This record gives sequence, structure tokens and C-alpha cells, in this order.
Amino acid sequence: MTPISRKTFLALAAGFAAARTAAAQDDPEWQKVVDGAKKEGKLTIYTATLGSRYHKAVFQAFEKKYGISVEPLEARASEVRERVRIEQAAGRFVGDIHHNGATTTWLMLRDGNFQPHGPIPNLKNIETTYEVDDTRVPCEVISYCLLVNRNQVKPADEPKSWQDLLDPKWAGKILSDDMRALGGGAVFFVVMYDKFGKTFHEKLAAQKPVFSRDIANSERRTARGEYPLYIPFSLQDLSQLKSLPVKAIVPTEGRPYILFQLSMLKNAPHPNAARLFMNFYLEPEQQLVFANAGYNPTIKGVVEKVPEDLRPLLATKAMGTTTPEKQDAMLALAKDIYK
Amino acid sequence: MGWAALERPSDPLAVAGVEPADTLATRARLSRLGRPAGIVLLLLLLAFLSLYPMVMLLYGSLHSTPPGISGEFNLDGYAGLLTAQNLQILGNTVGISLVKTILSMVLAILLAWIVARTDTPARGTLEVLITLPFFLPPILTATAWAMLGNAQVGTINLVWRWLAGTDSTLIDVYSYGGVIWHMMQYSTPFIFLFVVDAFRAMDPSLEESSRMSGATRWQTFRRVTLALMLPVTTSAFILSFIRGMEGFESAVFFGTPVNINVITTQIYNLITQQAQPDYQTATSLGFAAMMLMFLLLVLQSRLLRKRSFTTVTGKGYSPNVIRLGWMRWLTFSVCIAFFVATVALPIGQLLLSSFFQFFGFYQLDMLTLDHYRSIWTNDEFWTALGNTMLLGVAGATATMALGGIVAYVTTRTTWFGRRLIDLLAWLPWMMPGMVLGIGFLWGFAILPHAVPIYGTLWALLLAYVALGTPVAVRMTSSAYQQIARDLEECSRVHGAGWWQTFGRVLVALAWPAFAVGWVLVFFGIMRELSASILLYAPGTQVLSVVMLKMWAGGKPEDVSVIGLLMLVLVLVFRWLQLRFIKTRISTL
Repeated sequence: MTPISRKTFLALAAGFAAARTAAAQDDPEWQKVVDGAKKEGKLTIYTATLGSRYHKAVFQAFEKKYGISVEPLEARASEVRERVRIEQAAGRFVGDIHHNGATTTWLMLRDGNFQPHGPIPNLKNIETTYEVDDTRVPCEVISYCLLVNRNQVKPADEPKSWQDLLDPKWAGKILSDDMRALGGGAVFFVVMYDKFGKTFHEKLAAQKPVFSRDIANSERRTARGEYPLYIPFSLQDLSQLKSLPVKAIVPTEGRPYILFQLSMLKNAPHPNAARLFMNFYLEPEQQLVFANAGYNPTIKGVVEKVPEDLRPLLATKAMGTTTPEKQDAMLALAKDIYK
Repeated sequence: MGWAALERPSDPLAVAGVEPADTLATRARLSRLGRPAGIVLLLLLLAFLSLYPMVMLLYGSLHSTPPGISGEFNLDGYAGLLTAQNLQILGNTVGISLVKTILSMVLAILLAWIVARTDTPARGTLEVLITLPFFLPPILTATAWAMLGNAQVGTINLVWRWLAGTDSTLIDVYSYGGVIWHMMQYSTPFIFLFVVDAFRAMDPSLEESSRMSGATRWQTFRRVTLALMLPVTTSAFILSFIRGMEGFESAVFFGTPVNINVITTQIYNLITQQAQPDYQTATSLGFAAMMLMFLLLVLQSRLLRKRSFTTVTGKGYSPNVIRLGWMRWLTFSVCIAFFVATVALPIGQLLLSSFFQFFGFYQLDMLTLDHYRSIWTNDEFWTALGNTMLLGVAGATATMALGGIVAYVTTRTTWFGRRLIDLLAWLPWMMPGMVLGIGFLWGFAILPHAVPIYGTLWALLLAYVALGTPVAVRMTSSAYQQIARDLEECSRVHGAGWWQTFGRVLVALAWPAFAVGWVLVFFGIMRELSASILLYAPGTQVLSVVMLKMWAGGKPEDVSVIGLLMLVLVLVFRWLQLRFIKTRISTL
């Protein structure tokens, strides 16, 4: 794309976005939601993303646009879930929106922690890969790939397929997020198991991968040359590692992923603000904030707008994810294989 | 001796007729009522702080589902513990904790003796430097040691290979040794802080008598010095051992990659690392660990029962130091070696890294002050710092006040209920922090909504007081045990009331212990995460939560800046504290 056509494209996109917003604003029903949200004036979000500057940027953009203050409560996925559960059991309805991975969200939906969010105009733009229902809004995707140390791995030696990890030359040289615990490692285990079967993991276990649970530190350990390979690497961390000797590679089979979802908590004290925020989150501008950081957006027409160095990585095939029904069985199997 | 002393006919006030008889009778009646009322109040407060969250956890361990979800009572959580894997985990936990506590104890006693009882040069400075690692966030020192001691490209191994011209590996922190070494960096200064003031407050005439009776320096150290230190050393040993059993960061950082699992990593797995958190097994495991620790306390109680450890008497003494001659440079070297290994190396690594774009990449084009700017302009950090300082000062003060009273009741009186008070004060220390945090969450959330605790700073403050009380009690009770009762009796005979005697004699003499306890509790609050992450609400977040967010958000360099700021704070606090203690000691 030439600079001029890119500029034109962005102008057109902005025009479409403005037109869409205007159309939504013309809808008297939606206008009631906007007015109600402004009247509520506040929004409390329980989120399992800790310390993300991109989410903070979106929260601030919402505050700026609507004058509604956003109070995020950040904790790890299980801690968020337990707080919501005990608060609701005690009759304390504090949070409006829950933002978490699909597995935890599914469990909370089963436990009755949510309420239907009602019509949201931007839901119609969601990519067909992601399922939409009256409670869960797909909002961004963490995609996993490989991280290699450029000083230690020559381009010719770079793994092209996930199965290349089984090459004996990588024995003892793979650092991995722990597959025996929830997180990227567990998702990688499930997706590889579904694609290549148990033998893949048995062979990978024979390569003696070293497990770690500190993602940020593992990425730096790879960059420092402690290990030439790190799996699975969260693509959204790439922008933070710029100028380090590392490279992200999405193998030919595609990328495992974790879908994040927004849901409205039961008896949310600010339901209109919650709905307005969900719609806002799905605006192309906000989705582009995430896409530029390396998250896969959930709405159509955003990947095309990200910088060229990142676009090919995001435009790869979504290989699969874990499902809550089989998660614990898979963790047990991982413990059995990777002793 | 208690408030009832006012009733004694020999009370000088009554004898002197200073107050009318009816006033005295009223005061005596109040005193009679006051003591049981005070005990009941103390019991209620401790029960709320420690028993209440424990009861919630006990429910969790005996019920198939956590509070608020229908389920059934059963013993599945406890039955599930009896597996070969869990026994191995228990063995690992006890073994690691025991080894690190013994090594730390030996090292800490040696360092405390050097600092408090010898003429080693620059002792004041050494005392501050030795304790520094204790106050740093473990995740930061773990990161520093991961860079220094990893087998592949760790700085120490690279230097070793360069010097020795070999490809071999000198150290590997991802091992049992690495876990123990990292834990020792916290337990050594912790024990040191416990024992150093006890060494300082000891009457040297006891040692001199021993030497004059023909004992060697070693025999005197072993049979007099160490024997008199028994309450404080056993307290420190047990506290440190229990903390070792509950240690998490060292094990998860250096143990998990090489399959070294301990109780806390197992609990962490059960709560946060599976799709359906297993609170029943996690809380059962917490109670099993607690029973083990309880047995240790019983052992300590039996060891110290009916023995006197009085070293501060009314007979007057002048603290002095042992003159070591040329050997003082040897003891100085020991302290410096400890400082270099535990402070200079990891903190130097952190300091250096804080000026570069990334940890461990020391290229000129990556030099930056961005991490300092980032913290300076971070509103969230300043809000959290404000909340933490408020909670730290209020929490440490309240905890030391509560701990001082509990310690008095348990060590200086024979009041009914004192053993229960002691036990209640101990409970929070015996439950792993990440389990106890859930107990606080459950307990505070189900309180009536009219009680403004949940979601406010009060929730954090109460949890911090509960978590800090065991340290405060051990610190002050060890100091009380060194103070002769005749000093108190003397005060009462001269007409002082209970509160006057408590404040002007006991607290005044145990002031160094109070000061050290305050600092320990304060920085314990600054570092506490397990309960904080579950109890904070929008607007009440604290420093540890902000640091976790930064760490998870891929900003370990920013976290190291906060760690270094904390270090500066420690230096200021310790300097003030030591100046204060010096003033107090010189006035004794």
C-alpha cells in the first residue's frame, strides 16, 4: 500500500466509522442507552489483564469520549472469578463488566454470574471465527507463536512448522511456558494435542523443554541467550521487545489463541454504561489499539490497518484454542507426559 | 502481677492515704472488672482478626464448594492429601525450610554477635547493610539472581569460565541450592534483626563471670551467650522455619523449572492453575501445614518452659564489646563478604539494569532514564504509594501496640485465657499467605453491608494487622523475657499504675525490639501481596499490587526502580531507627 492510498484508506475507514457511530446515535433506543450511561457516570470493570497499557488507553478513551469514569479492578483470572463469586453470594453487586479469557468466562456463565447484555450495535462486525451470544462479547485475542533468539538461530534453521520443534538439534534448548498449568502453555498443549496427537507431546517431552511460569522473564531469558527458543510466545508482547535480538515466528499450521470476552455482571449497578462500553470496545479505533500491539482484533477490517511488519503475523490462521470442558483432563495429561 | 496489685494492703498509695478510701475501692472494683473486660476485648479482637478467617477456611476445607455455593460437607479435601506425591512435596518443603533455616541461623547469629558484641570496625554501617536484602521484593532479587547465576549465560558463570578457562558451570540457581540460597537472603537478615538487639541488651557481666571462672571464649559463647539467647533464637528459628514452609517466590522461580515442588506451589496450582479452582484441597493442605507448624510451637513452649532468660535486671549494667584485636578485620571481612554476596551483587545488577532499556542488555545505545520517568509520571504508583504509606504507618503502629499487649499478657501474667490469646495471635502466621488471603476475602465479603470493611482500606488494614501480629508478639515477648520482674515490681511499689509501668518500664526497656518489630511489620505490609490482591478495590490499590501489574505488564525494569526506591526508604528508616535505639540504650 502506497503512503497516499494508505492515507486515503484510513480516511475512508474513519469516515465509515463516523457514519456508523452517527447511525447508532440516530437510533433512539441506543440514544437512551447513551443518555442512561452518562447519567450513571461510572463503570467498574473486573479484568484479568494485569498492567496492560493498551487496555488502559481504551479505558481513558472511553472516559474522554463519554465523560464516564472507568474504575478497573485488575487481578489474575481465578482471583477475579472468586471475587465476583463471593461478592454476588454476599449480595454485593459492585462490578459492571467482566473481562476475562473464554474458559473462565464459560465457567462463570455456567455459575450464573452474568446477565444478558442486550442489543449492541457493533456486534454485527464480529468476525465469523468467534461465536457471539446474548451474554459474551468477543473482544480481543491473544495469539501464540514461537520466539527465537536471532543471534543463536540462523534464518535457515528457524522452525517453520510446530513439528520442527521435535528436531533433535533443539534438545535441551527450548524454554516453555508451563504446560501443566493454566495459561499459554496449557493452550499450546491442547491445540498441539488436537492437531498432532499425543505422540507430538511425547516426542517434545523427550526434548527436555524447561518450564517457567514467569512470561515476561522467559522472554528476556530468550533474548539474553539462555535459550534459543521460547514457546508459546504471546504476540502482543512483541512490541515491548523491540530492539532486542528476538524474532516472532508463526508456524505454517497457524497460531493457538485465547479469546477474551466481555460480559455484563449480574445486577450490574451501571448497566447502560456497561453496554455503551462494550459497543465502544468494538469500534475499529479501539480494536486497532489492540491490533497494533499484537492482539488479534475480533471485528472485521482491522488487521488490514496494522503496520506491515506485524500484519503477516496477525493474518495467519487461527489454529485452535482450549475448551473448558476438557481443560482439567488436559492438564492432568500434560502432568503425566511432562513429568 | 497485674491490676489487682492496687488491692494490696502494702500499696504505697493506700498506705500513704493519698486518695480517699471510697475512691480506692471504686478503682479496685473497676480493676477487678477491668482485667476480665480487657481480656474479653483482646480475645474478641484477635478472634475477629485471626479466628474468623480461619473458620471461613475450615468451612472451605470441609465443604465440597466454597461459601455461597450449595454443596455438601465431607472430608474429601483431607483424604485427597494422602498421596505419594503430596508426601514428597511435604518432604521437599520441610527439607528445604530446615536446611535454609539452620544455615541462616548460624550465619545470622555470627553476624549479630559481630555487630553487637565485638569492636569490629564500622559496625553501625554493617548493621544497616546486612539487613537490606530482607526489604527487597523477592521477585526482584530472584530476577537478579537468575541473571547472575543461570547455568548458560549467568554473569558469575561467564566470569568463572573466563577466569578458569573452562566450559564448566560454577553455579546453577535453578536447583535445590538456588531455592535455598534465595530463601536465605531473606531469612538471614530476618533472624539477624531478631537477635541483634537481644545480643546488644545482654549484660556482659554474665559472660565475664564465665571467663573468670575458667571457661574459654567458645565455651562462654555456647553455654552463656547462646543459652541466654534461647527465647529469641528459638522464636526466630520457628518464625523463619514457618516462613520457609510458606515460601513461594523462591520455589516457583528456581524450583518449578526443575520440578522441585513445595506446599505453596501445590496450593498455587490448586487455586490458580486449573480450570476449576480446588479450594477444598487447597485449604485442607493449608490446615495440614498449619498442624505441622503448631507442633513446632508446642515444642518451643516445652523447651522454654520454667526457665529464666533474664539479662536486663535492675542491678545495672553497662553494655560493652569484646575487643578482638587483629581478628576484628577478619570479622569485618565476614560481614563484607555477606554484604557483597547478598546485597551488592543482586542490587548492583538491579541498579545497573534500571538505567538500561532492558534487564541484562548493557549497550550504550540502550542507556535511558525512561524507567525513572515512567515511575515519576505514573499516577497509579503515587496513589498506591500514598495508600501503602498510610496503611504501613497505621498498620505497623497498631500491630506493635496489639503485639506488645498480647506479649505482655502471655509472658508477664498468669491471667486466665492467656494461652488462648497466644494461640490466636499465632494463627495467621501458620497458614500460608495465599490461603489466608482467601479467608479474609470470604470473611470480609459476607459481613453485613452496614459494616464498612469490604472494599475499603479497612479491609487491608485489618488483614495487615492480623498478618503482622505474630511477628510483633514474638519480637516483644522475646524482649520482655529478658527483663527482670523486679523492675516492674519496683515501679509498682513506687506508686506507678499498670499502664505507667507498662509504658515507662517494659516498653521503654524493650524499645529496640519495638522499633525493629515496627520496621519488620511496616515492610511486611509494603510487600504483602496475597491478601492485598484479593482485598483491594478501585482507589485502594497498594504498592505490591501495582508492582505485580507492572511485572505482568512486561515492565520488570520499572519494578526494579520501585524496588530501589524502597531500598532508599529502608536506609532512611534503619538509620532513624538505629539512631533512636542508640539514644535509648545510652540512657538506660
